[in-house]
Amino acid sequence: QKLCRKTVEFMHRQLIMLYMVAACRAVAINDLLDRASERSDILHSLSTTLSHDLDSQFPPIGRVIMPRPSMCHTASLQTPIDKYQALQVSESDLLSLARSLLQAWEDPLAVLSTSANTLPHPAQSSISNKIQELQEHSKNLGDGLDILSGKMGPAAQTIASLPYRGGNDIGEDRISKLINFNFLLSCFRRDSHKIDSFLKILRCRAAKMQPEMC
Amino acid sequence: MMKKAVELVLLLLLLFFTPHIMGKRYSPPGKPTLTRCRSPEKETFTCWWEPGSDGGLPTTHALYYRKESSERVYECPDYHTAGENSCFFNKNDTSIWVNYNITVVATNTLGSAFSDPVDVDVVYIVKPNPPEKQTVTIMEDKGWPFLRVSWEPPQKADTRSGWITLIYELRVKLEEENEWEMHLAGHQKTFNIFSLRSGGKYLVEVRCKPDHGFWSEWSSTSYIKVPDYFHREKSVWILLTIFSAFIFLILTWLLHMNSRSLKNCILPPVPGPKIKGFDNQLLKNGKSDEIFSALMVSNFPPTTSSNYEDLLVEYLEVYVPVEQELMQEESKDLHGGCLKCERSTSDSDSGRGSCDSHTLLMDKCGETKEEGRHTDRASSRMLTEAQRHQKGWEKDTLTYAHGDMVSPDMSNGRVKTWPSVFSPLPQYSSNPLDKQSSLEMAKQHCLSTSSCLTQPGHSTKEALGPSNWDFCLGNKQPHLLHPQTQVGRQLQAHSEVNISNIGRKQAPAGLQSPALRSTEYVEVQRVNEEDLVLLQPVVSGCGRIEGYPQMPKGKDYSKVKGVDSDNMLLLQREVMEEDWCPGVDQEINGGTGNCYTSSTVNTTQKPTACIHTAMPVQGDMALAMNGYVDTATMCTLPTC
Repeated sequence: QKLCRKTVEFMHRQLIMLYMVAACRAVAINDLLDRASERSDILHSLSTTLSHDLDSQFPPIGRVIMPRPSMCHTASLQTPIDKYQALQVSESDLLSLARSLLQAWEDPLAVLSTSANTLPHPAQSSISNKIQELQEHSKNLGDGLDILSGKMGPAAQTIASLPYRGGNDIGEDRISKLINFNFLLSCFRRDSHKIDSFLKILRCRAAKMQPEMC
Repeated sequence: MMKKAVELVLLLLLLFFTPHIMGKRYSPPGKPTLTRCRSPEKETFTCWWEPGSDGGLPTTHALYYRKESSERVYECPDYHTAGENSCFFNKNDTSIWVNYNITVVATNTLGSAFSDPVDVDVVYIVKPNPPEKQTVTIMEDKGWPFLRVSWEPPQKADTRSGWITLIYELRVKLEEENEWEMHLAGHQKTFNIFSLRSGGKYLVEVRCKPDHGFWSEWSSTSYIKVPDYFHREKSVWILLTIFSAFIFLILTWLLHMNSRSLKNCILPPVPGPKIKGFDNQLLKNGKSDEIFSALMVSNFPPTTSSNYEDLLVEYLEVYVPVEQELMQEESKDLHGGCLKCERSTSDSDSGRGSCDSHTLLMDKCGETKEEGRHTDRASSRMLTEAQRHQKGWEKDTLTYAHGDMVSPDMSNGRVKTWPSVFSPLPQYSSNPLDKQSSLEMAKQHCLSTSSCLTQPGHSTKEALGPSNWDFCLGNKQPHLLHPQTQVGRQLQAHSEVNISNIGRKQAPAGLQSPALRSTEYVEVQRVNEEDLVLLQPVVSGCGRIEGYPQMPKGKDYSKVKGVDSDNMLLLQREVMEEDWCPGVDQEINGGTGNCYTSSTVNTTQKPTACIHTAMPVQGDMALAMNGYVDTATMCTLPTC
């Protein structure tokens, strides 16, 4: 009976600890998620603006021969395609997806940045600046998500590898340069939206005590 | 595929048959255009198109779409839910993060037309419904009302799971206004509006927007009326009082700042006497030299005038018992005349001899006697003259003065008669007191133009300059004269002393001395064309002890009747007006005559003697006698 009682006490204590840990973690995660959501929001907004800037001067022929989005290098990553599916993904998986996507764009953004310097476009300088901002925000978000994943358990740590195989050169002639640049940017725009959506779902889920967050 | 083949066959058939059947001019339909596609909640979406011309035939439209990852063509599942020319994609048909390639086809019997394909990603076309369940209530905060607006997100938008994140915006306006007041509410679902107008009716609307989508339409308007409240009125009154108090303070301050100028405006200050070049500070310091030097004008006396006045030399001191007028004259030849006079001192002419008997000698070194009408000019002139002669004559005058004062013996040296005409009788028998006062008065007369220097102090008198003293001291007793004429005496002093002596000598003639009588001075006005020296008596203030200068009541002009062989001017006195001083006896007037001093115009070397005439006056003062300078005559009359 003593042993029973001790076990119960131990269990009790563990539960309390878990609860406390969970509570502690919850508070911290909330803030972290909030910050991450904000940054992903900015990231996507920037990419949208950039796409619009590029589209305004895009040659009409480019739309026709532009590669399809299914040819994005991150297309292989399985992501939810509707709300029902998205809401069923676990928090860890959501975070893992976000981190994988973010990680996948580290190299392509660098390529975009270098090619933006020689982009044959009237708004070249503005585009170049924005690409640099994108890189900055992306890095910050990546760091934040790394911290988050540390708090959310081992399942959040897995990152899918999505290598970019486009190489450093995005094209030879002006048209192909523009087309490839636009294509890459559209891929990034979608992926940034995915990241943002996942993080916001996570934020809402984590903010059970603060319903006004959602 | 099957569907497509069927459609194509149908189209071909239509194309063949329609022209035969109709016989009219029909054409294939025009190209439709996809206008927009929207998703209200990121779960479903709708696309609308605009049909082209129908070509006169019934045209059907079809929407076909293709998803990005497959080649399969789908037709729109629902053409009706969203209305005409629309295609509604329900949840099952909607996929996100997938590009839809949508085309609309318009078909009639003659043909079909394809619209341009449009790529749509659902996540980019989100436009939610407006917020719902909007409420506006009036609440109070410390007596001030405010509006509290609250709402709910649109029902379809799933914000609770975080699928959609909405931000809200509301707008408010008064009923009568045209401009809306916008407020961004962020993620919150309530909002407070302050600064309401009392009794105003407000309109409130809300809308929302997903984080990367389009703004919704405005919600339905909520109306609210703000009740009247008194605080507003109170505050208005408080503001008014504060404002008026503020303005009052400003006015007071302004008034204070401009008080001086206002005072000057309302109560202008009484102007004090201002003498050009006169400095009050110097006066206070007591240095009269500086004062008078400041008063002196450099180019004075004027050298430009060329009338006869300049040629005349002296001041004639004429004592008129009745009129008591003084005449004064100043000429530039004074200097020259004085020099000559000086020279003449050593002359042993008969003129000198007459002087021994205390006759008054004509003196060209006349100085202005200022009484009554003393002016700055006169005094300055006098001063300049006095100072000019001062050096040369000081010693002489002093000795003469002394000599004269000590004894009536005039044998030593000439007496530079100050052209002052005395009435010998009344004055000299006056008691010392009178004389003193008359002296005072005379002094004061002399000093009238120099401000405030009516002190009988010796120093001041001397400071003023010897010339002043000289003529003021006209009827003084010698002993009175003595202390004052110690320094820097003018020759005029001597003459006056002489006159006084003469006067005294006449005393035993039995004439009563009247009340105080001051010296009368005659001013040689000018010489007119007929060689007439016009003398102008200067009133010395008869009988007044206070010594204020009197304006001459009348003027006696002495005309020079002629010049005799001895270069003596024969003067003729004319009395213009009578001014009997109180206390003056008829007898005296009758007994007294005017002592005329004549100045020789022709720069004679001879000293001129003061003719003392003592002709009895018969009531009227129109003396017809001729006053002429004749030492012999003079001598005979009073003393000789």
